[in-house]
Amino acid sequence: MSSRALSVTLATLALWAGGGLLGTVAAEVCVTDDADREVCLEAAAERIATLSPGATELTFAAGAGDKVVAVVSYSDYPPEAKEVASVGSHTRMDLEALVTLRPDLVIGWVTGNPAEQLETIEALGIPVFYIEPRDIEGVASAIERLAQLAGTGQAGSVAAEDFREGMARLAADYRDVAPVSVFYQVWDEPLMSVNDEHLIGQVVAICGGVNVFGGLSRLVPRIDDEAVLAADPEAIIAGGMGEENRHWLTHWEQYDDLTAVTRDNLFFVPPSLIQRPTPRLLEGSRLLCEKLEVARGRR
Amino acid sequence: MSRLETRELVIDVPRRDDGRALSLSLEPGQVWGVLGPNGAGKTTLLHTLAGLRPPRRGEVRLAGQPLASLARRQVAQRLGLVFQDSQDGFPATVRETALIGRHPWLSPWQMEGGADLRLAEAALSRLDVGHLADRLVSTLSGGERQRLAIATILTQAPRLWLADEPTNHLDLHHQTAVMSLLTEQAAQGRAVMMCLHDLNLAARWCDQLLLMYPDGEACWGLGADMLVPSALERLYSQRLATAEIDGAPVFVPVR
Amino acid sequence: MRQLSLPLGVLLSASLISLVLSISVGSASVALPELWSVLGGGGEALSRTLILELRLPRSLSAFAVGGLLAVAGALMQVLLRNPLADPYVLGLYGGAAVGALAAMLASMGGLVISGSAFAGALASTLLVFGLAHGTGSWTPSRLLLTGVVVAAGWGAVITLMLALSPADRLPGMLYWLMGDLAYARSPWPSLALLLVICLLLIPLGRSLNVLARGPMQAAALGVAVRPLEWSIYIVASLLTAMAVTAAGSIGFVGLVVPHMLRLLLGNDQRLILPACALAGGTLLVLADTLARTLIAPEQLPVGVITALLGVPTFLYLLYRSR
Repeated sequence: MSSRALSVTLATLALWAGGGLLGTVAAEVCVTDDADREVCLEAAAERIATLSPGATELTFAAGAGDKVVAVVSYSDYPPEAKEVASVGSHTRMDLEALVTLRPDLVIGWVTGNPAEQLETIEALGIPVFYIEPRDIEGVASAIERLAQLAGTGQAGSVAAEDFREGMARLAADYRDVAPVSVFYQVWDEPLMSVNDEHLIGQVVAICGGVNVFGGLSRLVPRIDDEAVLAADPEAIIAGGMGEENRHWLTHWEQYDDLTAVTRDNLFFVPPSLIQRPTPRLLEGSRLLCEKLEVARGRR
Repeated sequence: MSRLETRELVIDVPRRDDGRALSLSLEPGQVWGVLGPNGAGKTTLLHTLAGLRPPRRGEVRLAGQPLASLARRQVAQRLGLVFQDSQDGFPATVRETALIGRHPWLSPWQMEGGADLRLAEAALSRLDVGHLADRLVSTLSGGERQRLAIATILTQAPRLWLADEPTNHLDLHHQTAVMSLLTEQAAQGRAVMMCLHDLNLAARWCDQLLLMYPDGEACWGLGADMLVPSALERLYSQRLATAEIDGAPVFVPVR
Repeated sequence: MRQLSLPLGVLLSASLISLVLSISVGSASVALPELWSVLGGGGEALSRTLILELRLPRSLSAFAVGGLLAVAGALMQVLLRNPLADPYVLGLYGGAAVGALAAMLASMGGLVISGSAFAGALASTLLVFGLAHGTGSWTPSRLLLTGVVVAAGWGAVITLMLALSPADRLPGMLYWLMGDLAYARSPWPSLALLLVICLLLIPLGRSLNVLARGPMQAAALGVAVRPLEWSIYIVASLLTAMAVTAAGSIGFVGLVVPHMLRLLLGNDQRLILPACALAGGTLLVLADTLARTLIAPEQLPVGVITALLGVPTFLYLLYRSR
């Protein structure tokens, strides 16, 4: 061993020992969250509270499902999540119930949970880790980081890689196809769509679609029927109120001149597969790409 | 100390040119009647004298000092005003309403005491509304409310009374009772000025008169000098027949 | 003249009982002996967290906000001589909301948002006062009308701001508008303001009684009417601004508590104002306790509970008073 390496080793040992003498314990796990804060835990989290349905899915995907002790309402995937104790709605959580479950880590949602309640949780000494994936890589990274925090790094890596590879393959498969103009409908009253920055907008682009409202500045722009008629998209894809509800699409059938109507390119993709930033996005993306392929076939 | 004086006072009646400047003084012991048709500005005059409205010109002096320079509380301790119409405020009992007459005398931190309560009760009995002490004001008749308003000022016990048509809504018995009360106040060294619609009441009970004409013209002086039939006919634009009953003139409008 | 001490004593006891009840009850159950030891300084860590760091601040906030709203409502009713007035009738809530939402759009932090809400409420006060002035002086009906119109105007501005805000700001803005005691921060500023204002209102109480009989009459009895009305308006705005900033717009308390107390205790503002502080606080503490425990872990908005509790009580009292 060179003298330099020796001195570094000795210095490190000294710091370690010195740290031990002073009684300080180096943090075991430090991860940066989506609010750009570094969250450090003394040990891997054992009792995790997830304050959004998306966070629940991501945590389970990271392999830490059995460590989840608290969820919020509508955390319906995976099915095991329904067995976990709920602490109310993500907009108004029952902090007493949360505290009683003794979580050592809380997964919060930057824009979805009330800031005041998250601040109270932090004031009580419970670490809060914010996630808010905004792109494909963000979803994968969230899984990995959650796995890190939960000490399930292996499972998390696998899940994240599967997701990345799946999305990459989709992107490769649909890279050179003919573009299809698409209108993706997020809501019916008021009529809302997404722009290119939105996660769904990114999926549309991967599938070789051109979002007719992609250039608008707002992430979820509010438009009207006239705008859709003017844009005359080749395909209309809608989510819906529930998993089976396709009635938003029937609204467009009254406009005989719409290209999407004449070619019967009115498609439904179950919203939970595409509107949540979770691994199921892969499944939803595949569906969306298939629908656009159908549209290409009808030219 | 209860002398109210006006110096070249021109009251502000909206949309009317300046009237005659009034320079008169309300001395202790005097009972003034203010006569005139509707719209002549009688109420405006009383409110100006009480400091509730600014005059257009001239000034009012209370006990030698300009009214405008006195604090409202000081004014309220010396001068009481019976309004023509009772304003509908928040619900209150008759007793509570009479008691607010003590407000100018109590400091903000003081509660009404036994003496204040006795004053109020005595005033209420004097005006024959004592039996209504616990009733809500909103349940009273017009006449009872009028008597309550006067009782409130009696509780206030000012040196100067300004009364705007104090006999409104009152039956004959109570009209006489109120006029007796007011003249008794004057006899006890206070000064009284009242607006009256009823010419005959003024003729019988007032010793000084102020006639206010609708165009702003005015004249004032001893009652006997003012009760000239031609002047009164011009005042009311109404022909009058005169008689004398029980030592005082009586005027009756004729066709 | 009614004795002040008996009704106030009863209300004070009710307040204390409601506070004790509130910290004893929650979605997590804490046994009575455990509660006792926590209050004595001991107890398990979890119990201490639940009671001292979650329930106690929230209950104190509820008490303060309830008191602030009830006193503000009573003052507005005297000022406008209208029993239908409530703390929000002059557009205060709208102004506070616009201030808070603007701060959120500018990515400001919690303290600036609260300060901005406060400033917005007071700005709305001055706006309404200024607009109602017109050519002559303002009358209660003019003030009321101006306030209603300005409130509607703020509503439109709020809708516009929501429509134009970026998607990530929207949930935060909506939470502020929904407002809730769940989002209340420290109770101490609100409690302090409530106490200070109640003390300040003691010497003004009788003047308010006189003012309530009518402004001309009040002036004739020595009340400086305009300055008093201005002061009351500013005080009521301050109270409402603080309440709205702490816990959003909670309806019903400011309208009904003063009424209920007037039916029971008469019209002496020297009694009614402190009674409103205590009764309003008690009502909101009880309502909030129900809101957070009735269907736990789901949390109800406290405004629903105040309405459900208050309406039948008020109707019953009204019926009896006939």
